[in-house]
Amino acid sequence: MSGGEVGIHHHVVEFAGKFFNLDTLMMTWLVMAIVLLIAFLATRTLGKGKMPGNKCQNSIELLYEYVSDTVKENLDEFAPQFVSLIFTMFLFIFVSNMLGLIPGLASPTNDLNTTSGLALFVIILVFFMGFKVQGLGYLRHYITPYPVLLPLNIIEDVTKPLTLALRLFGNILAGEFMLQILYLFVPWFVPLIWLAFCVFIGSVQAFLFSMLTLAYVSMAIRPH
Amino acid sequence: MELAIVLAGAAIGAGLCIGGAAAGAGMGNGTLTSKALEGIARQPEAKGFIMTNMFIFLGLVEAVPIIAFVFALILLYANPLLKLLGQ
Repeated sequence: MSGGEVGIHHHVVEFAGKFFNLDTLMMTWLVMAIVLLIAFLATRTLGKGKMPGNKCQNSIELLYEYVSDTVKENLDEFAPQFVSLIFTMFLFIFVSNMLGLIPGLASPTNDLNTTSGLALFVIILVFFMGFKVQGLGYLRHYITPYPVLLPLNIIEDVTKPLTLALRLFGNILAGEFMLQILYLFVPWFVPLIWLAFCVFIGSVQAFLFSMLTLAYVSMAIRPH
Repeated sequence: MELAIVLAGAAIGAGLCIGGAAAGAGMGNGTLTSKALEGIARQPEAKGFIMTNMFIFLGLVEAVPIIAFVFALILLYANPLLKLLGQ
């Protein structure tokens, strides 16, 4: 990111024989700190009998109501367990997407490892909920509605985590890359437009990831 | 000599890749947006619902062109074929 070179260079450290991307790890810790700060600011006046106060709480409550309604609509009886999960996922991905737009910082989601970790978590959750609710009958979803669709269903189960990871990674990495190129060649005013677009794309992708998680879990819980 | 061929091939490949991605994204987004606008024109009170869902599906449609874009960038800046040549 210096001179005439464009690229995302990770500082790699070695620990116990495995390699870690140090900046991704540090940025993930920063994202966690920011999410905890948001949660703390939004719940300061709860449960103490004070009047509901600050702007942070209002906006977070708006978001929480929307997520809660959508989750209750899709999953009826499992809704309480999943509202906090979907909400946390949305907050984490949203904050980490926004972090990369600050000069000097990078998004943890511009690393395929982070998004693959999230996608792996989602697919394990889907299988776990499928087996928990339907037992071994969950395997029947491979041959509904017609047994001839078995290869297609298997491919679908493989593509789901793959596209989840690659979509988020590609969007954020492309945004950061283009930002570097624009800073290099046209440092006046055009990066501003691209920054605004990246804010929009970051929020859409965060929302999309959480809603897709919800859709996959609801498809696993309910037999077709 | 082989290095020149590999670099030229990578450059042409990246250009074709991003061109195909742009065409695909343009056609997909255009169809999506035109159908959304038709729906809004037919029933203006469903505007909020249609717009929200339009953005959701926009994210889905844009996924593969963005992956193609990342692929083109990898070909240009982090080409794995150069390692095969021993560079």
